[in-house]
Amino acid sequence: MGFGLDEIHDLISGPTQTGSSSFTALLELPQPQAVELLVNEDFPSNHLPPPIFPSNNGLIDRATKFSVFASSHNSPESNAILSISSPMKPDVVKQEPLGSDSHPKSSSPTVSNQSLKSGKRKEKERKVKESNKKSKKLVADGGEKLPYVHVRARRGQATDSHSLAERARREKINARMKLLQELVPGCNKISGTATVLEEIINHVEALQRQVEFLSMRLAAVNPRTDFNFDALLAAESGLSIDNGYMGMFSPSILPEGQINGSRQVQYQQLWHSNELHQPVWAREENNPNFITPGNSLLSYGSSANSGKSTVQ
Amino acid sequence: MVEPSVISNPDTNPNASRKKRRKIGSDYPNGAAAEPCGNRWRTETEQQIYSSKLVDALRHLRRPDSADAAVRTVRDAADRVLAVSAKGRTRWSRAILARRLSLRLSQIRKKHKRAARPDAGLKKPAVQKKLPPLQRKVRALSRLVPGCQKLSLPNLLEETTDYIAALEMQVKAMAYITGILNGVPAAAAAGGGSLAD
Repeated sequence: MGFGLDEIHDLISGPTQTGSSSFTALLELPQPQAVELLVNEDFPSNHLPPPIFPSNNGLIDRATKFSVFASSHNSPESNAILSISSPMKPDVVKQEPLGSDSHPKSSSPTVSNQSLKSGKRKEKERKVKESNKKSKKLVADGGEKLPYVHVRARRGQATDSHSLAERARREKINARMKLLQELVPGCNKISGTATVLEEIINHVEALQRQVEFLSMRLAAVNPRTDFNFDALLAAESGLSIDNGYMGMFSPSILPEGQINGSRQVQYQQLWHSNELHQPVWAREENNPNFITPGNSLLSYGSSANSGKSTVQ
Repeated sequence: MVEPSVISNPDTNPNASRKKRRKIGSDYPNGAAAEPCGNRWRTETEQQIYSSKLVDALRHLRRPDSADAAVRTVRDAADRVLAVSAKGRTRWSRAILARRLSLRLSQIRKKHKRAARPDAGLKKPAVQKKLPPLQRKVRALSRLVPGCQKLSLPNLLEETTDYIAALEMQVKAMAYITGILNGVPAAAAAGGGSLAD
């Protein structure tokens, strides 16, 4: 936390740099006191370098938060959270809300990580993360999540609770939308929440349709999976199956599966699968009638599908 | 006197503290990482776990009567296995797992309701509220993601993120399995198998 002191100096001297107009307003604390303690170099001997205020737990919070704040104050839109309002309460708990929501991702994860780790080390306190809501209340409790988030207003923005809350909410939503945009292909260029949402909806629908389609194919193939599946898997990985044959196999399935009923798909599958079994299982044998080994293998399975019998 | 209590305390205390710590520990990742943006679904191991579980589930499926029922059972099995792989941390996974139970209940309830209120169908949509298009899209999205009907927007977006990642993994795994079952070498090759041409 060596950087703390300089940053704190900057902070105290120029609150405008931090981008907060309500810096001192939110600090109900004896601000000058804290400043003095920080800036004043001829401390009483028992006071350690600024980040540590052993005498006052509230100041300890503040100090640690300063460090949090300091590391992030370079970014223009960083908002540190100081849980304030009652400095004298020793066991103040701040809520740590969510992750790197409203911040440039580079700084905030580290900050949040730091803050989280140090929060863990402190017995009952949690590091406050960066968010935008106004500090409403402090609940003194040990190690439990607060319903309130402590925030600070940015420079040049309205500071009443409603707009702050709204802004915080918007920030959360925008952060999540950004994540989604990265996930959904082609959404990066689109701007505007509505269109992005549209894309997301389309993507989810497309994925669900794909799952449906794949499950249809799986269902068609399923009757034969009862037997020897492990062998099939092993064979699949080890053997080289005739490529041209397979090339004929799969494209024929696709249009069938979509147009005709799956019953027909099943028949086709089984018919093809018979020929498939020949190279896999009965490679050595020269079977004039390829149906027979296929049938025996098929009937091995517990599910004697009626389709199989008609294939005969 | 003091000793027994001291002895017994460590018994309970570690448990309590362990529980507490575990709780905090589990809270932290949830709060801080916020259901890690789909990263866990992208790992190869996750796909393998899912594939093996799916194969297992497919093997134990009940034999369906009709073709459509077959598709439905396979789809349900796939979704269920996906939800199980989610380890219940997300809302949609819990909703999928609870689907089976709630399906029966809702059917029974609907039957009772219809019997009790025969005039329900006659109700005209007197007031057709046109929500702003954004809201409508949000509603549409919430209908798509299972179990997220009445969820706030940020949570809904979070669930959607995880859901999309999970779905993509599901598609990949199912395509792989289908490919294997069909004996298509390309699928296995894509999945990392070493097949000679």
